[in-house]
Amino acid sequence: MKCPRCVQVIHRGAGLCPHCGFGIADMDARHGRENVSIRRLADGAGLMRSRERVKVQAALDHFGRRFPQLFFAVYTGSAGGGGNLRQFGFWLLNRAAFEDVEVDRPNEAGILLVIDAESKSAALSWGYLLDPFLKEEDTFLCLSRAHAYWLEGRFAEGTIRLLAQLEKILRKRASQARRDPERFERRVAPPARTGEIARRIREGHRHQPLKATEVIK
Amino acid sequence: MKAIAWLLSAGFAVAALEPAMPAWSDDDLKALAKGELIPGLLLLTDEIKESPLSAPGVPGPSAEEIADAKQGSPDVAEQYLDAYFGERPATFLVDPQRLLGPKDERDRSGFLKFHSGDSEVDLFIYLFDGHQTIPSEVREEEVVERFFSEGKPAVVVYYFLGAPQKTDLYVSPVLGDTVSAAEQRRALISSVEEALEKPDAIGQLEAFCVQLSIRIYWMERAAGLVADAPTVPILRRTRQETPEKAVSPGALKAKAWVDEYGPATGIMAGAILIVVAGVSVVRHRTRCRFPVFDVPPRLGGEHAAGIGAVISFGSTTLSPSSQRNEVPDYLGL
Repeated sequence: MKCPRCVQVIHRGAGLCPHCGFGIADMDARHGRENVSIRRLADGAGLMRSRERVKVQAALDHFGRRFPQLFFAVYTGSAGGGGNLRQFGFWLLNRAAFEDVEVDRPNEAGILLVIDAESKSAALSWGYLLDPFLKEEDTFLCLSRAHAYWLEGRFAEGTIRLLAQLEKILRKRASQARRDPERFERRVAPPARTGEIARRIREGHRHQPLKATEVIK
Repeated sequence: MKAIAWLLSAGFAVAALEPAMPAWSDDDLKALAKGELIPGLLLLTDEIKESPLSAPGVPGPSAEEIADAKQGSPDVAEQYLDAYFGERPATFLVDPQRLLGPKDERDRSGFLKFHSGDSEVDLFIYLFDGHQTIPSEVREEEVVERFFSEGKPAVVVYYFLGAPQKTDLYVSPVLGDTVSAAEQRRALISSVEEALEKPDAIGQLEAFCVQLSIRIYWMERAAGLVADAPTVPILRRTRQETPEKAVSPGALKAKAWVDEYGPATGIMAGAILIVVAGVSVVRHRTRCRFPVFDVPPRLGGEHAAGIGAVISFGSTTLSPSSQRNEVPDYLGL
């Protein structure tokens, strides 16, 4: 888990980044704290033709059918470029109200692709539901699949390739989680407090007294 | 110059030998001027002057006599009669007069031999010239009875080259008992008609032989010389023999392998296909679900704080890894 601004690792449940003090309030101050109503495919920059948008929409629907809990959204437009793309993705996924997504799929289950045509960069963000299952390296792999297409300006084809790669990764993670859910649960479990650790140690000592042989040693 | 003078003098000498050109007499010119004489009138009148040579009371020769006088006797020359009718012919084409060229004779003889090998009835062709006639002392029926009563049944044809309509057809006594005269006549007419469609004499002979050979096939059936379906077993035998000869050892091994393991292999392959198709369908329809864990919100975000990679696609020469953006944005710009 990293901070969208300083890209430093932060602890689970941090209200603000302990390194740079970043929080969503900073982004609200820039973009507003009101909810933004958009559709899953919001081609604000006009990077795709209407026929291509139909194909991308079909790919999004397919993704939704394969993962009944999740949805994938695409936003194209200016986000300030560079590192700001992370912050913008973080803000948009928290403030967006997706019109064409069922109510049983909250933003926690969303994955957002932001393509900034001005700065020629793209970023992926995801909701809390996917926190245990997705890593930054996974998203880089997906973006790499689309990279060659985006270089040629074929944004729709690149997005479809990205979706296919993401589907492959998520299918694998779903299978692993079905077999061993605790492995993923540990990743997101809240950190134990110091007092709690001391209490466990004491209880452990009380309930499991040392053997005589161990004392002698 | 001497040569030219010689040529001119020779030309004048030749011209001097030719009869003199006709000339008008004075009386004719006067009659022509008065209109009493019409040039060429004599040619348009039907008057035929009696020949001063024909004596009165003696009848002139008839047209046939004149034709006979011009052509001579139409009978086949006596020197060939023995070759034609002296004995049973050794070849199927009897042509002692050498009316056919070597190539045509070879072709026709070959065809008649082929027919003989393929048929239960031989076909003998006696070849005469179109204008010839068979001498009256030769009785064709008797010749056929004498030479063709024994041995393989035969159809004997007296064919006149260039005049197929003069052709006569006789059958050996064995065939004569079973094949009606009407059937023989129909075979002959059919063959002659076929021959007359060809413009040349050789082509006519060829067409005649082919058509008559076909008709003889039906004569064989009518005479009971050929069973109704003798060719079917032959065809079946050849069909069975041909693939056996063509089969190579490798093919035999493969066939044996197929016979032994074919059904099992087919069943196994089918089962594998079904399993693969089933797995594919199941995988395609599988819905992936994730377990839901409680994740404490971070950085004030209520729904999401998952930060993935940022990639730039500004350069076509650099790799995606080189264009990965990992620069922290400390200044918040």
